[in-house]
Formats: sequence, C-alpha cells, structure tokens
Amino acid sequence: MSADSHAHGHDDDEHGLAHTATVKVLLATGITLLFLTLVTVLATKIDFGANINLAIAMVIAVTKATLVVLFFMHLRYDRLFHSVVFVSALLAASLFVGFTLMDTSQYQQTNIWNPSVPPVAPIGPRPING
Amino acid sequence: MSTAHEAHGAEHDLGHHGSPFVQHHYDDAQHQFDSGKLGIWLFLAQEVLFFSALFVQYVLYRVHHGEIYSYAHKWLQVKFGAINTAVLIFSSLTAAWAVRCAQRNEKRGLIACIALTLACAWTFLGIKYVEYSHKVHEHILFGSYFDPCVSPGGAELLTKNNECPGAKSTIEYDYGSEKAKTGCFEQSKLDMNPTEPGVQADCEVSEITREKKAGAKDVEWVEKGRRAITARCPEPHIAEADAPEEKETFPCWRTAYQPAVCPDLTDAEARSHGTGTRPQVGILVEYGDSAERGEEIAIEAKCKAPPAPAAQSIDVLASETGEKNLKLGQGAIHPVHVETAEEEHALESIGPPPEHTGMFFTIYFAMTGLHGIHVLFGVFVFTWLLIRAAKGQFTKDYFGPVDYAALYWHIVDLIWIFLFPLLYLIH
Repeated sequence: MSADSHAHGHDDDEHGLAHTATVKVLLATGITLLFLTLVTVLATKIDFGANINLAIAMVIAVTKATLVVLFFMHLRYDRLFHSVVFVSALLAASLFVGFTLMDTSQYQQTNIWNPSVPPVAPIGPRPING
Repeated sequence: MSTAHEAHGAEHDLGHHGSPFVQHHYDDAQHQFDSGKLGIWLFLAQEVLFFSALFVQYVLYRVHHGEIYSYAHKWLQVKFGAINTAVLIFSSLTAAWAVRCAQRNEKRGLIACIALTLACAWTFLGIKYVEYSHKVHEHILFGSYFDPCVSPGGAELLTKNNECPGAKSTIEYDYGSEKAKTGCFEQSKLDMNPTEPGVQADCEVSEITREKKAGAKDVEWVEKGRRAITARCPEPHIAEADAPEEKETFPCWRTAYQPAVCPDLTDAEARSHGTGTRPQVGILVEYGDSAERGEEIAIEAKCKAPPAPAAQSIDVLASETGEKNLKLGQGAIHPVHVETAEEEHALESIGPPPEHTGMFFTIYFAMTGLHGIHVLFGVFVFTWLLIRAAKGQFTKDYFGPVDYAALYWHIVDLIWIFLFPLLYLIH
C-alpha cells in the first residue's frame, strides 16, 4: 500500500477487499486530466509543424491514459498480474500497428490532393448550422 | 477478511460471508472479489485488442492519405469533442469515487456518484446525437453515403443525390456508371467572375416543375411549367469583420463543384503541383430556406462560352486587378489577396474535398460509433448499479460490481482520450 492512503486519515480500510482511493488522489487525478485536455486543445492553436503537433497531442494523450490507468483504475495499488494482463494487451496492439506500418515505404507516394494548393470551389460560403 | 458488520446501519442479514451476495462456491468474499477482478481485467485486455483493429485502420490510412485527414477534420467541431472529453473525464472521476463510497459503506454518496456518472453518460450521448444529426443532415457520412452538401468552410457543393435542403442542381447522377449523366460543365467554358462587367457566364437557368407520367415503365417526367432564375448568388469571399452583410436574392444560381460528382480533370500529379486543367462544375440553385426541394423540381441550364476577354490567362487578369500573390485557380475566380495564415486556412476549407474523403468519415463513424455503443452499454450497467445501490446491496464486503463497472467505464474514457486528438485535433 502506498503512503497516500495513510495521508488521508484513520478510516481508509487497509484490510478491505481492495485498496481504497483517497479523496486527494481522486481529485488531483481528475483536475490534472481536465487541465491536460485544455492544454491539448490550446496546443493545436500553435503551429509547430504537423508532426510536432501530432507528437505533442499523442504525448499528452498517453500521459492522460497513464493517469487514468494508474489512479482511477487502481493499477498502481493492484496486483502485479493485472498489470501484466493489461500491458500485454497494449504490447499486442502496438505490434499490430507496427507490423502494418512496416512496408509503408514500399508504396508509391499517392497523395491525391495537395493541402498547400487546394482546389477552390467557385462558390460562396454559407454558415454551417449547428 | 473483516467479519465485523455491526456498524453503518446495514439493514440486511449479512450472513457468515459478510454479504448475502457472496456465492457459496467461493471460499470467502475476497475470493469472489478477486475472481471477478481478474475476469474484468481480462475483458479490458480484450477490449484494447478489439479497438486496436480500428486504430490500425486509422493509422494506416493516415500514413498513406494524410491530406484527407487534414481536410476532413475541419468538418468536426473541436468544441463538441472537447466538451465530451471533459464530460467523460468527470464521469470517470465520479465512477472512481463511487467505488470509494461503496468501500466505505457510504450509501448516499454511492447513489450520488452513480447518478452523476449516468448523467454524464447521457450528456455525452446527447452531444454525440447533435454531432451525428448535423452530419446526417449535410450528408457527411461513411462510404458511398458520403455526399456532403457543404464544404467545411460552408460552401455549397454539388451532390450526387441532389437532395440537399434548400438547394437543387443540374446534376443527374448515374450510379451504374458512377458518373454524372448530365449537368456538368467544363469550368474553362464558364467565366466565374460576376464582378467583371461584360464577361459573365452566359447561362440561362430555369426551374422546371414536372410530374411523373402514370403507367410508364421507366420513370418519365412531364413538364408542367418553368420559370427563369435570373438572380446570381453573391461572390465567394472570406467574411470580413467590417464588411456589410451582402443581401441575397432567392432563388439565385451559382456555379459549384465537387470532384466526386463532376470529375476533376486534373490528374493527381498535376494537382499536387497546382497546375493542370480546370475541374468541371455544375449549376446550383439556392432557395435560401431549408424546405426540401422535391423530385418534382428539376434545374436546367444552358450556358454559352463567355466572350473573348474571359479567355485571358490568369496572369493577365491578375496584373490588371493589381493583385499579387495570386494562387492558381483562385485568381480568375475571385481575386482575393491572401496574406494571413488564418485567411489561407479559411480559404482552404471553402474548397471542395479531395477524392475519397469519405474514407475519413468511414473511419470516424466506425471508431466513434463503436465507442458510442460502449457508452450506451455503460448506461445500462450504471442504471442497474443505481437500482442495486438504492436497495443498499453494496457494502464494503460486496462492492465487486461497482468496481468492475467503474473499470469498464475508465477504459471507455481511455479510448476517447485517444480518439479526441486523433479525430478532432488534426493540425
């Protein structure tokens, strides 16, 4: 058990069926997650180049996911075997993606549209409703 | 295991296992809880693998056709995605808190947390409904149903089905040959700049009211009446803050384009260099209201090639109007001096979509749809938990279902944490 559970006070049940999350950890995790959501939205407003923007968004997403898994899902305090099960699934998933991308360079460049020279419709804008 | 249950006003006979819900085939409550927990973790691992197939599809298509993503994501509104992310994170917090309440025998707190989680789940689904219904309305759908009425910038586009609200075009699309049968004109034969006096495209646009001939084997239309549509819809432009609102007269006609309907004659190589022949266009009539234009109305346009001055090259036109930095394809149409990145961004999204943009929405609907089904399932589970919690069935010796449902809910949140930047926040 971690030091967190002692920090909260007398009634965190160390002998219950499972670890009880403290109010402090729950709130801190929740607020950090909301803050990171704000950061990831604001980060897209700044142009660092497409790849760096994508990297920033993914790093933030992975951080958020880690927080959820460790604290909301209690994996930090849970049995090691549950972590093994979950991490194996993540490894398998990344293998799927990795193997599919291995032959990417074997294909011709098939861009069918150039974002820097987009075609322009000879028509006027109309506000999108909703 | 703790066997002391005298506290907290538990009304039930808790039996020798501490809870009447501990099944006899388990040694004790701990054994039952641990078995369930292992089960739910195995299920979550399976969920990760389940969704990973869709992530593979997403990544593979993005690597090969990133340009489609960078165009199509503009149809999605970051506002809705961000609110939904916050809603799900908050519901994850309340779900985790529900587990804490159950573990501490706090019945009222448990009920409140489950109810909040449910409310968030409904909010999420409500926002998704708003997003989806807008896409259904504008035909921004998956696969062959992708036939958008407007570009992300809000420009009217030609459509195959010709059933967009408030607009009707000359296009008659043949799904057999996957080509427009009639209604497409070569853009070079039309002059697109109505502000230039004397060189406007000479089109006679009329609306034909017609009715189906009874008894005929093939659909045959009989003309009942026609009226000319003379008003021309205003120029395309990027809205300026100070500019007075242009008054539109309805119905009016304009030229419109979409590569999926009227073929873009430019080949891929030329297009990526910004050169090549012009795309084909059709005539679109705007009615200015959302009333559906029924099948009984058809649009007919007879266009003549413009007189000589329109045959001038873009460069000549550009130098005459004193505009610099003209982009090919924009100059002759509407000489806008594009300077800021924002303006450029806005202009870009006015344009018609790249071919195969429907693939983005196939992926979008597959991913958000499967996720949405998970949220819906979560609603059922948490409703069931709410009923059981109200009956006071969860105690610190039996809270497995709350814990397992919360874990499931967190994985739903976790998947959305990735979907949000991948779909809504493409730069």
